[in-house]
Amino acid sequence: MAALNDIANDFLKDEIEEFIERPHERTRIIDAFARATPAMQEISAALIDGDNGTVDTLTRAALDDGIEALEVMDDGLIAGMSVVGIKFRENFIFVPEVLACARAMKAGMAHIEPILSASGIEPVGTVIMGTVKGDLHDIGKNLCIMMLRGAGFVVHDLGVDTSEDEFMDAVEEHEAPLLGMSALLTTTMPNMGKTIDAFIDNDMREDVKIMVGGASVTQEFADDMGADGTAEDAVGCVELAQRLLVELKQEQDA
Amino acid sequence: MSDNTIKQMKGRDRVLAALKGEPVDRTPVCNPTSVATVELMDLVEAPFPDANRDPELMARLAATSYTELGFDTIMPVFTIIQESSALGCKIQWEQKDNWPTVQMREPIWTDVDDIKLPPDFLTHQDTKCVLDAISKLKKEYGDEVAVIGKTMGPWSLGYHCFGVEPFLLMSLDDPGRTHLALDRMKEATVEFGIAQIEAGADALTLPDHATGDLVSSDYYRRFLRDLHIEMAERIPIPLIMHICGRTVDRMGYIAETGFAAFHFDSKNKPQESMEAVDGKISLVGNINNPETLFARGPEEVCMEVHQNLEHGIHMVGPECAVPLQASVENLKAIPQAVKDWHKAHTA
Repeated sequence: MAALNDIANDFLKDEIEEFIERPHERTRIIDAFARATPAMQEISAALIDGDNGTVDTLTRAALDDGIEALEVMDDGLIAGMSVVGIKFRENFIFVPEVLACARAMKAGMAHIEPILSASGIEPVGTVIMGTVKGDLHDIGKNLCIMMLRGAGFVVHDLGVDTSEDEFMDAVEEHEAPLLGMSALLTTTMPNMGKTIDAFIDNDMREDVKIMVGGASVTQEFADDMGADGTAEDAVGCVELAQRLLVELKQEQDA
Repeated sequence: MSDNTIKQMKGRDRVLAALKGEPVDRTPVCNPTSVATVELMDLVEAPFPDANRDPELMARLAATSYTELGFDTIMPVFTIIQESSALGCKIQWEQKDNWPTVQMREPIWTDVDDIKLPPDFLTHQDTKCVLDAISKLKKEYGDEVAVIGKTMGPWSLGYHCFGVEPFLLMSLDDPGRTHLALDRMKEATVEFGIAQIEAGADALTLPDHATGDLVSSDYYRRFLRDLHIEMAERIPIPLIMHICGRTVDRMGYIAETGFAAFHFDSKNKPQESMEAVDGKISLVGNINNPETLFARGPEEVCMEVHQNLEHGIHMVGPECAVPLQASVENLKAIPQAVKDWHKAHTA
């Protein structure tokens, strides 16, 4: 197990000291940063700081130096984003700050994605994501998509105002085992239940695990709607997607 | 505060007294956002989207909150987009069972210098519809029930006109220009608000969605507190601030703006909210929409109403615009539960 002083970057050490409170998360994050090279730590620090210009420059430089794209993504960008996710969950930062960090992550991913696409790495799984009918809010959904892609999922983004038929058609077309629905408004949240009912009515419910999310979505609401799970943030969304994929495979193997 | 010695009041008097912090015969039942539902649209043949664009249909549907549900208020402005439409935003009007929305992916403004109120701002179909509906309702129900209008605050207009993401990023990248943008957009809020007063509104809801789900309480203090104080001074009528989501961390600031009331979401517990406002502002709320009014029955609605009353919430109603599929039975349970609670507590 690594110690805080094993991390070279002072900014990262300060961030961990100040914001990462849960012991298991602290241990995981210290281990991850201590394993990373100083160059990767610097990318993480710039990302946590929401500095897209620096992330862009450092990512390009790292790839030019011959560092593997996967290493830059995992040890630099995603490691930084996991700190951002925790700070957001614990209300140390809010959506504007997260958007700035996401903008920085996008700047880095713009260099990395073409390399990964060309490398033919097998994806972890396929996810269909969209905001439900009548709702045009997509910040949370887009953050989840970014983190899912970072974790190796192929994500088909249906955008906002997505009808039941559009969700079903996309799941069928891409043979996706996972579906994620988002809604910000309490007035549109019931459309998650309507969509799940449509999957049941069309005999498609057994083939897909359904995640729901949004600022007002609770576990109780997710259960009421017949969803398979919900998560409180983008980091949790990745963990949920990974868990549901395993569950679906176990069910299909049984 | 309810007072057993006061003789029975009309709904309008009850609401206006509660907004002023004066004694009432019983707790008013209010809908500062919307209680329009598909069931009510069918009942009076005033469906969305037409009921958002035709003053006759708007007034007819709005009146059902009094005539069918027994609330003490009528709110004809079901949506949050009427003035955004008049400002030039592209609107998706939808059908009967879906809310109309602003196409925030196609913002009309990208810079502070783009902000302009069109000359037809108050004569545009979608603002004029509200003004005409208020006039009709005032004429028909003026003495009996409080007619509440709605004018969107500059923060919410910023989401609609700049897009949520660009507006929030601007607030971080350039706070000075964000202040300037808010200062310019607030004129739309004030103009539309005053026009509704002239049309006959008894009070106004002013939604300004600086919610804890998006921004910090420090954001509210830095960007909005002074603007809201200014609006309370310039708009000569009781104002009801509405912000969805978690807000208890900023209720102390809101309580000092001079607004008459704060309409709060069920993410904030009644007791902690009462403590946060410390008697400086009335609270309206906070029956849960998705889990209670939409998905449960009258018994659960009644329990939530009673929890609010036990904690001294000044006006009871849904936490926000109710889902269009919510049942009339559940909505009727709100005033019934308030009456039953008061009966039990005066016996």
